[in-house]
Amino acid sequence: MAEHNYVGQLGENLAREYLVKEGYKIIEQNYKTKYAEIDLVCEKTEDVSWWKKATSEKQTKLVFVEVRTKIGEQFGTPEDTLDKRKLWKVLQNAKFYSAFKGWQGPERIDAICIVLKPDFSVHRLTHHENIIS
Amino acid sequence: MLIKVPSVANLGLETIKVDIEINLANKGLPGFEIVGLADKAVAESKERVRTAIISSEVDFPQKKITVNMAPADVPKEGSTYDLPIAVGILSSVLNFSIPEKSLFLGELSFDGSLRHTKGAFLMALFAKEFGFKNLFVPKDSANEAAAIKGIKVFPVESLTQIYQHLLGQKDIFPVVYKQVKENILDKAEFDMKEILGQEQAKRAMEIAAAGGHNLIMIGSPGSGKTMLARALPGILPPLNEDESLEVTKIFSASGDIPPGGSLVTRRQFRSPHHTASLVGLVGGGSKPHPGEISLAHRGVLFLDEFNEFPRSIMEAMRQPLEDGCLSISRAKQRVIYPADFMLIASANPCPCGYAMHPKKTCSCGPNQIAKYQKRISGPILDRIDLHIAVMPVDTEEFKGNQQNSEFLEASSKIKQRVILAREKQRVRFADEIIHSNSQMKNNQIKTYCKLTSDVEEILRQASLKFNLSARSYMKMIKVARTIADLDNSEEIAVNHMAEALQYKPRNTETA
Repeated sequence: MAEHNYVGQLGENLAREYLVKEGYKIIEQNYKTKYAEIDLVCEKTEDVSWWKKATSEKQTKLVFVEVRTKIGEQFGTPEDTLDKRKLWKVLQNAKFYSAFKGWQGPERIDAICIVLKPDFSVHRLTHHENIIS
Repeated sequence: MLIKVPSVANLGLETIKVDIEINLANKGLPGFEIVGLADKAVAESKERVRTAIISSEVDFPQKKITVNMAPADVPKEGSTYDLPIAVGILSSVLNFSIPEKSLFLGELSFDGSLRHTKGAFLMALFAKEFGFKNLFVPKDSANEAAAIKGIKVFPVESLTQIYQHLLGQKDIFPVVYKQVKENILDKAEFDMKEILGQEQAKRAMEIAAAGGHNLIMIGSPGSGKTMLARALPGILPPLNEDESLEVTKIFSASGDIPPGGSLVTRRQFRSPHHTASLVGLVGGGSKPHPGEISLAHRGVLFLDEFNEFPRSIMEAMRQPLEDGCLSISRAKQRVIYPADFMLIASANPCPCGYAMHPKKTCSCGPNQIAKYQKRISGPILDRIDLHIAVMPVDTEEFKGNQQNSEFLEASSKIKQRVILAREKQRVRFADEIIHSNSQMKNNQIKTYCKLTSDVEEILRQASLKFNLSARSYMKMIKVARTIADLDNSEEIAVNHMAEALQYKPRNTETA
């Protein structure tokens, strides 16, 4: 496996571990069809809040996660690689997925940006919620 | 997290408060957006702010930053919002609060230092009027802002300095106002004593300077018209306090105050070339800028080769000559700039220039001369108080006078008389909004220029003989008033009026 593919794979696994720890239920990893490619698809059940006040109601959200991994930041941050074109692609893939699976509920698109040290240990892992709003 | 940093926007000479609202959202992809009708220079400030903050060794927050400039319907322009935006972002990173009753203004440099920014003086005036206590402006612009008493002006050199001040680590001390000496610029190109002959023209210059009257000189090439005009700044009185504030306001709005500059105390002498555009001369543009006539406010606008100016420019000056201000209306905004200037014009009598010459023969046909003189419209000439013919100096006489030039009156001596005359006017118009005799309106002429029956009789006869217009009639009284002031006389005497009548608008009888 070429190094950048390995780094990507490593980043996705790190992101998966992080999401599981945060209480997300992973549905798909590396979902890939002829039409769409999504790094992680997961579900999160959380309390519905209304005007910042928590209610007893529960709601399940479908969360699409785009994982960006880089070794070192000196050539640009992983956030920089999420340009308009990529965001548009991610949005289209998410739309395709929910249409294909017949999902009717709320959904959200997140990004997880990981910066690794040269020895592949984690320098930082940032979770950006709701990157397309 | 929502932060509010107050700043100002200048629309012409008007200043309004602008709140820079900065929101740092935890959700969403990190980014930097500016909204609120910002122009290109404001939108580009995000790159300056980002780089300046990183250069100041502070981590730029990885958050979705949205900046709003309220009120959102007023167009914001220029680079003056760099500092308030940067301070807002720094306050969230370093956890300090924005001090109360403070205004921020300044352009950032990539290394985190601040550059001289226009409009600091206007902001200080605004702060004084609306009860703001502290101003944070670039160090180079601090002195002009400090000219307004009663507010603290903090000279900021760099972003590091301002956050250390706001965190309470290392204070910036408010600047103390220091008047910059303008003595080098104060000197005129020529002294009046260098000009040989031309005594009548020099006297007319003195009257013009004393009363703020407009003046036109007509004469052959080489007779010294330009030299006379260039010597004029040497006899102009300094600006008084109110006038100085007015002029500084215009200069602040146009960005003509140099770094570290102070109040403008010198009367301006502007001499635009006749190829100047209409907008350059009277002001305008889609965001109206002051033109030469506004920059010459309370000073002198010298138009050399008056006939060569396009008709449109001459006609555009009619209204400011009368009202002392100019309203510039554009689709997006309307701005009123003061333009109360002394017009000094010089012109040749005909295309070859020798129509009035006592010895040389003019090579122009009567048609040519008529066409040439028609270029200056009647209404403009009618608005000019003093008309003088500048005759060429006899070179024979010149030779004999060469040694005598030290016996001629120096500019400094004439200036003293002018200052005295202006002082009389200041006392006279203490209750009025005007400053000089030339600005008197008809009812003020009635109050301040009581004519004795002798004087009135002379004026009546002259106006019958020379067909003076009603406006010229009034102008003669104003000029006579100034001559009386120069003579330190309370009443307008017969000789004052007789002298004034010499400067009446002349027909081209000499041609």
